[in-house]
Amino acid sequence: MNNHPFSRRDLLQRAGGGFGALALSALMERDSHGTSSLNPFAPKTPTLTVGGKAKSVIWIFTNGGPSQVDTWDYKPELAKRDGKALDGFDPKTGFFPGSVGGLMKSPFKFAQHGQSGTWCSELFPQTSRHVDKMCFIHSCWTGSNNHSPALFMMNTGATRMGYPCVGSWVTYGLGCESDSLPSFVVMSDPKNRGLPKGSASNWGAGFLPSVYQGTWLKPSGKPIDNLDAPSSLTPQRQRAQLDLLAKLNRSALAQSPIESELNARIESFELAYRMQTAAPEAFDVANEPEHIKKLYGLDKPHCAHFSAQCLMARRMVERGVRFIQLYSGGMENQQSWDGHNDIIGNHSGFAAESDQPVAALITDLEQRGLLDDTLIVWGGEFGRLPISQKAAKPGRDHNPHAFTVWMAGGGVRGGYHHGETDEIGFKSVVDRVSVHDLHATILAAVGLNHEKLTFKFQGLDQRLTGVENPQIVKQVFG
Amino acid sequence: MERGLVTFQKDIVPLLKTHCLKCHGADATKGDLDIATREDLLRGSHNGPVVVAFDAAKSVLIEVINHTKEPNMPKDKPKLSSESIAKLTSWINDGGPYAEPLIAGRKPKRDPTKVTDEDRQWWSFLPLKDKAATPITPAEGAKKIDEMLLAKAKSKGLTFNPKADPATLVRRMYLDLTGIPPTPEELQSAIRNPQSEIDKLLASSRFGERWARHWLDVARFAESTGFEQDYDRPFAFHFRDFVIKALNSDMPFDQFVKWQLAGDEWEPSNPLALAATGFVGAGVFPSQITANEVERTRYDAMDDMLSTTGAGLLGLSVGCARCHDNKYDPIPARDYYQMLSTFTTTTRMNVDIHPDGKITPAITTMAKDKSTKPIEGATRMMICGEGYDPIVMHTQGGPFFDQTFFLKRGNPDLKDGEAKQGFLQIFARPGDEKRWQWSPPEGAKYSGRRRTLSNWITDVDHGAGALLARVIVNRLWQHHFGTGIVSTPNDFGRTGNAPTQPELLDWLASQLIANGWKMKPIHQMILLSQAWQQSTKRDAAKEAADPGNELFMYRKPQRLEGEAIRDSMLAVSGMLDSTMFGPGTRDENSKRRSIYFNIKRSQLIGSMVAFDAPEPLVSQGARPTTTVAPQALILMNSAQARGWAESLAKRVSDVSDVGQRIKDAYRICFSRAPRADEIASGKAFVESQRTSYAAEKKPNAEALAMADYCQVLLGLNEFVYVN
Repeated sequence: MNNHPFSRRDLLQRAGGGFGALALSALMERDSHGTSSLNPFAPKTPTLTVGGKAKSVIWIFTNGGPSQVDTWDYKPELAKRDGKALDGFDPKTGFFPGSVGGLMKSPFKFAQHGQSGTWCSELFPQTSRHVDKMCFIHSCWTGSNNHSPALFMMNTGATRMGYPCVGSWVTYGLGCESDSLPSFVVMSDPKNRGLPKGSASNWGAGFLPSVYQGTWLKPSGKPIDNLDAPSSLTPQRQRAQLDLLAKLNRSALAQSPIESELNARIESFELAYRMQTAAPEAFDVANEPEHIKKLYGLDKPHCAHFSAQCLMARRMVERGVRFIQLYSGGMENQQSWDGHNDIIGNHSGFAAESDQPVAALITDLEQRGLLDDTLIVWGGEFGRLPISQKAAKPGRDHNPHAFTVWMAGGGVRGGYHHGETDEIGFKSVVDRVSVHDLHATILAAVGLNHEKLTFKFQGLDQRLTGVENPQIVKQVFG
Repeated sequence: MERGLVTFQKDIVPLLKTHCLKCHGADATKGDLDIATREDLLRGSHNGPVVVAFDAAKSVLIEVINHTKEPNMPKDKPKLSSESIAKLTSWINDGGPYAEPLIAGRKPKRDPTKVTDEDRQWWSFLPLKDKAATPITPAEGAKKIDEMLLAKAKSKGLTFNPKADPATLVRRMYLDLTGIPPTPEELQSAIRNPQSEIDKLLASSRFGERWARHWLDVARFAESTGFEQDYDRPFAFHFRDFVIKALNSDMPFDQFVKWQLAGDEWEPSNPLALAATGFVGAGVFPSQITANEVERTRYDAMDDMLSTTGAGLLGLSVGCARCHDNKYDPIPARDYYQMLSTFTTTTRMNVDIHPDGKITPAITTMAKDKSTKPIEGATRMMICGEGYDPIVMHTQGGPFFDQTFFLKRGNPDLKDGEAKQGFLQIFARPGDEKRWQWSPPEGAKYSGRRRTLSNWITDVDHGAGALLARVIVNRLWQHHFGTGIVSTPNDFGRTGNAPTQPELLDWLASQLIANGWKMKPIHQMILLSQAWQQSTKRDAAKEAADPGNELFMYRKPQRLEGEAIRDSMLAVSGMLDSTMFGPGTRDENSKRRSIYFNIKRSQLIGSMVAFDAPEPLVSQGARPTTTVAPQALILMNSAQARGWAESLAKRVSDVSDVGQRIKDAYRICFSRAPRADEIASGKAFVESQRTSYAAEKKPNAEALAMADYCQVLLGLNEFVYVN
């Protein structure tokens, strides 16, 4: 079996073939999504027509909670009321009830960009050149003022631990286009600044079968475990092992009542064999042409780490990876966008790390004709308060009441601004968008109906978006 | 009302049918609002009542159609005419009567706030049929199991497969009961009388290590807090040890349950009983809690305790009633909060157990200098109960509140009176409470509420004991056959699957109770049955007649769980370290059985997760069996798998003849001799690999080639599937 005797199509149809085989109990009974294949990753056709046309998602998770009023939500009134107290403010809104300061104008300059005249802060000189392809939701709000629950909320739709994340739902709903790469990949900060709070639970599959959990690429060393053969095993010798394995396995196949499951296991070794070369190839940005490396900023020490991750994201999208989540920033405080102190230093730093790579990602996907197929989401777990958090260099505390998320690609409406916060950017007031609404919209962007994408667990048809009638933000799709 | 009835026919029916019924009763029930019958209309939506009879001004329905309140209705459609609104308003002011349902023949839905005798007729809530069962011998029990299965299969004309051959049977027994295959010597001695091997294996300490793992899934057991920092719970492993010990000693299941819920109240000075309470405390808990999250977090923690109790012990989604009355099962939200109050003052605590038996609190705070220093000779243990110092996290509030309230929609800001302890009305008649009520002795540090709960849950005649017994015997069956008689082991309610052999399930539950809740007699009966002992030989006609194998007239090979795969590989490679108990490790190079892996929620053991070990967040009744590439990568490339293969190769290389080595390896790995073609392809492979290594001038070409071969054997389907 030196050459794999099946085409990819055969492989997926055999299904069992592919590398399928959630046990029957898992798939036939528990999978109410109606897939008939044994292969948990067999590509599935989306059914929703109201939404976008994205095939892949790249979610740039600005961890820690960027300040809306210092980034994409321009508030001239806040400048006018700079230094005034915010009457009636509940000091428990943020994390530090004892450090409540007065209203604080944005220390960053704003200017209008693009045909849409979108106001952008000076933090993003390069990304702001793309505003006419970006769609802004200014009226997001969430249910927690604390990182971990808010991260869980943003990723899984629940403030509690243990629910499946958006990436898991999407791969459960759509399967994977690649037969040699993981379907859902997560990249975290490679600069030793920690993981988002709650770490792996943010990309966990919860009650969905664990095959749908995110594959976290280790930021240092080998990104995926067990991709390299033991030192003595050359590819030829390992090939010989797999040939013997297949031969011995096949001899016992036909007599078994679980033939397709056993067959699937044979195929899984073949897939693993291919993955050993396919995965490192996908993650390796070294062979990209110079102009592409430059475009992303790989030559610049302050952003090279994020440039590489954005470039890897593009390479994975090209190779059929379904969902990629990329964390900007490490754990909290000054390690991430969590600018409790020194909002100027904090946000300048993380914006500078990510601005050029993100802008390059949009440019690059577009020039390859991939932007329409790829939804980019940019946002964090909550926003920040328009008042200052008192410190030698003032910062801003957490704000669950308002934050901005933008999307680009995947058929979203460029230059469009949805919803509004109040005049100082404290609370979302017009066309409020809950996290469940946002999730319903992201699912719609990839053609999934959030009401139909269910999984039976604990006696209920569970879904990502809960029961409180979340709404797709249809305007996002023009 | 009279006037209302007239308008209903003339004006209201067309209005409601045109504008409302499609989404609220006919095609869907959006927002849980169903207007098809008056009863359903008056019950309202998930946000509460929408119509107050005789009071349109207080009726949300009028506000939303007037567009004075969101969501404006009819949704995404023009506002109704003022004339129509006026008609609806006056109809409500007339009491909102219906002359008939809006959909012909529609009956009002069950009132989910009430539990009726009809609700109690659901199969899993009924009393056991044979209340006065007497214990019978395992052999008789096995016969009875077979009779009941055959009786059902008769309709399709099916009977059991022939018995598996003795070697296969012995291997199956070993893997099922101990998670490790027999050595060639064990096989040799067992093959003469496989039946008697069952008792030996049930008495082996490996039995508890194998079967405790099944229970740890149910108990969502882990040894860290989860959430942001995922702090270790370094003294939580005592619960895992308790489960192993309890199963090995065949602790009666009712006692097993009583101790897990309230060991500190049953036997406050017995360390094993204290360790058992780890069941209640194994769930996640945040380590950083802001002021406005303190109360919600506490309700979440109690919900975790109650939901695990409900799903794990009773197979009921009790947790579903947190936000609203359970729509499917007769579990009103009131029942939920009354039961929740059991845990009002229950927290995780560390205690020190001194050599003389004295138990003292081990104060544990995030500030280490304020915590109790380790005490010479004492064992520190995490328990979950009342009376010692709660473990303190970074919180802007206290460890618990003195009262539990009824909450509307699960929201701590919407309190609706204090909830005092009570139980599910399905299994509790008014006045029965005192049967279970236990008041702690004077001066005790605990409330007695958990012991009271444990009395109710194990009471077969008046409480939930019959269901408790059904759920556990179903779990035993499931692990012996791959599927339970109820295939949804954590859901015995209306959303679960019905039992395929209800009489058999009932009978097994009665036998469990008749045997003093001891589980080993049930294991014996099952393993002695023809059903369990039949071969996995394929029979196309049977598969066609019963594709789901619901009749159990053939046997499907089961894939071993990740733990058993790894343990078996350690065993055949001769590397297994059989040290029992104590703190675990996260080092994949450990040679101890996998149940001794330390389970940290943010750093789960990769090889276990790859083979479908669940995330320990909520009670899990059944693992999926996936077949994915990362599993193959582990067997092909991990240092551990390679190490096991090398060790196995060494083990069989005492003899120089490669053919003999292959024979020995097959006996060790597969409990059988290889066929001639298997020997031939093995020899050809070893020779070819040896030549390849020799060409590179590797000094140990032969050993490397043999290791390559053994690695293939460990990867074979036959190794990971139990035939």
